[in-house]
Amino acid sequence: MATSQQIKTGYIDYVLTHNEEPKSVYSFAKKIKISEAEFYEFYASFESIEKTIWVELTAETIDTIQQQEVWAQYSSRDRMLSFFYSYVELLKKQRSFIVYSLRKHKAKFAAPDALSGVRPIFENFAIGLINEGLETGELADRRFLTKRYKDALWIQFAFIINFWINDDSAGFEKTDEAIEKGINVTFDLFQRSPLDNLFKYGKFLSRNGKFTENRKKY
Amino acid sequence: MNEQNSIPVTKVERSAKFVKTGFQISGNYIKHYSKKLFNPDLGRDELNEDNATDIYKSLSELKGSALKIAQMLSMDKNILPKSYVDKFTQSQYNAPPLSGPLIVRTFTKNFGKTPEAIYDKFNLVSTHAASIGQVHEAELDGKKLAVKIQYPGVGDSISSDLKLVKPFAFRLLGMSEKELNIYIKEVEERLLEETDYELEVRRSIEITEACSVLENVVFPTYYPELSGKRIITMGWIDGLHLKEFLKTNPSQELKNKIGQALWDFYNFQQHELRAVHADPHPGNFMITPDEKLGVIDFGCIKELPSDFYDPFFSLISSDVVNDKAKTIEAFRKLEMIHATDTPAQIEFYYKAYLEMIQLFAQPYTSKTFDFSRPEFFEQLYAYGEKIAKMPEFKQARGVKHFIYVNRTNFGLYTILHELKATVNTDTYKPHTV
Repeated sequence: MATSQQIKTGYIDYVLTHNEEPKSVYSFAKKIKISEAEFYEFYASFESIEKTIWVELTAETIDTIQQQEVWAQYSSRDRMLSFFYSYVELLKKQRSFIVYSLRKHKAKFAAPDALSGVRPIFENFAIGLINEGLETGELADRRFLTKRYKDALWIQFAFIINFWINDDSAGFEKTDEAIEKGINVTFDLFQRSPLDNLFKYGKFLSRNGKFTENRKKY
Repeated sequence: MNEQNSIPVTKVERSAKFVKTGFQISGNYIKHYSKKLFNPDLGRDELNEDNATDIYKSLSELKGSALKIAQMLSMDKNILPKSYVDKFTQSQYNAPPLSGPLIVRTFTKNFGKTPEAIYDKFNLVSTHAASIGQVHEAELDGKKLAVKIQYPGVGDSISSDLKLVKPFAFRLLGMSEKELNIYIKEVEERLLEETDYELEVRRSIEITEACSVLENVVFPTYYPELSGKRIITMGWIDGLHLKEFLKTNPSQELKNKIGQALWDFYNFQQHELRAVHADPHPGNFMITPDEKLGVIDFGCIKELPSDFYDPFFSLISSDVVNDKAKTIEAFRKLEMIHATDTPAQIEFYYKAYLEMIQLFAQPYTSKTFDFSRPEFFEQLYAYGEKIAKMPEFKQARGVKHFIYVNRTNFGLYTILHELKATVNTDTYKPHTV
């Protein structure tokens, strides 16, 4: 009896050896010596295998970091950093497959289809962190903008993964720098800044400026 | 959290910083020439001063290797106005902190384990910054440890910083590219060595073992099994930094004791080991509660090859300086006098360098030396200022080893001066053939 694990490993092995998808489910099933029906019991298509691999890696990362002892001490910023560091560490084990899966799609910044399953998981995780940060005051609550925070983090996600697959520094040290700097900048923008105060001051001036003008009229 | 906001981190930002300096310098030229329209007597001195001030201002706002390069270049002029030196030392004390997760990541990369799994206790918040890393407090088997972690990408930024700093160095020092490259390469080599923590642990162990014969000098224990490419674990040394120590109003006797320990430490290394801790930065020393000198950082070691050591120290500790022919011979070996020099030039450089050597050798000429005497340092500064103004010294002279040897010894003299210590200078004497 075939297992989903067996199909997955067989698939990864196939694409890495041939650098392309199998011609058909039929030929692939025959190759790994299972019936086509068994294949469809677990996966609807090759694409869904790829999506599953990504989803599993992402879920595993989130699960692992949340179990670390230091997790409780971390701020939202630290938690996001921790996610990316652990994520690229985990992806490293499957690097060839990850590179294959992403390089298939030529478009640079746009997230490829294979990541469509990851996005809701990551966003859900990000929203959790953002809400905690808003509660503790670590992040600034801004009308309209707060809802976009998660999108900014998703852009970072796509950027970091792209950076990592093209990173040729020893130990992927450059990716570490990209994460440290990118996430810090993003969170710096999320937290209360002089711009917020400037905006408020402007609002105050415009309101009170009118007030004095109005008084002069009468 | 926001500590790093104000520090220019990326190459682009750093370039921007340098570009700003470039504008300021051209601004200074414009200022200079417009002033000159009205006052034709205006010398270039004022212009040079304006330029130097702007370059240093801009460099001192940078961190890491750019800062070190600024220090190095300033060393080439031997002695800098004290205010610059103060600025540099200050900014070395505060560098941008690493995030907690990146620290954990560095550990898992090096050891495959998190810091909690390695130590009994590990403080994720760093206690202080080193120039290319930061230090954390940890505990294992009841022992307090200091764990030094390097910032990622330091090695890369050193090379790119050096490229950025070069054009300014040309202008500041007025050297040709070929000449400057020899010095820049020497600095680059040392700086890159500093990023190799495995090398640092090996050397630290070697040197601390060799120096164990010295009285009143203590070193941390190093743990090679808990150290790696980016991490060094060593014993924690309790104590006060020089500035804090001086604030406690120590007795003259105690100051002399610490000063003596420093003198012995440096001269033992130079003359017995022929390799010296070349970073006499006050932050690298601690004065322990039991009144000893703790030395904590062996990132920068300068080895002294015989073809440098022999001619140089023969000038200092023998009667070579009384014999003009022999002195010139030594200056030739040290490339302070070139083969292409005219007799007039030879005479000129002979006199100028003899003065420098005699100043440098002053502490060695008597059994004890009182470093609190301001005259000695006034003479040093005056000499530095004098040669900085001489057009003959626009071109750099001397072998590359001078950069670090001067830095080390003048650094040592300065610390001893700050301590106001009187030391026996005949404890470890130069060995000359």
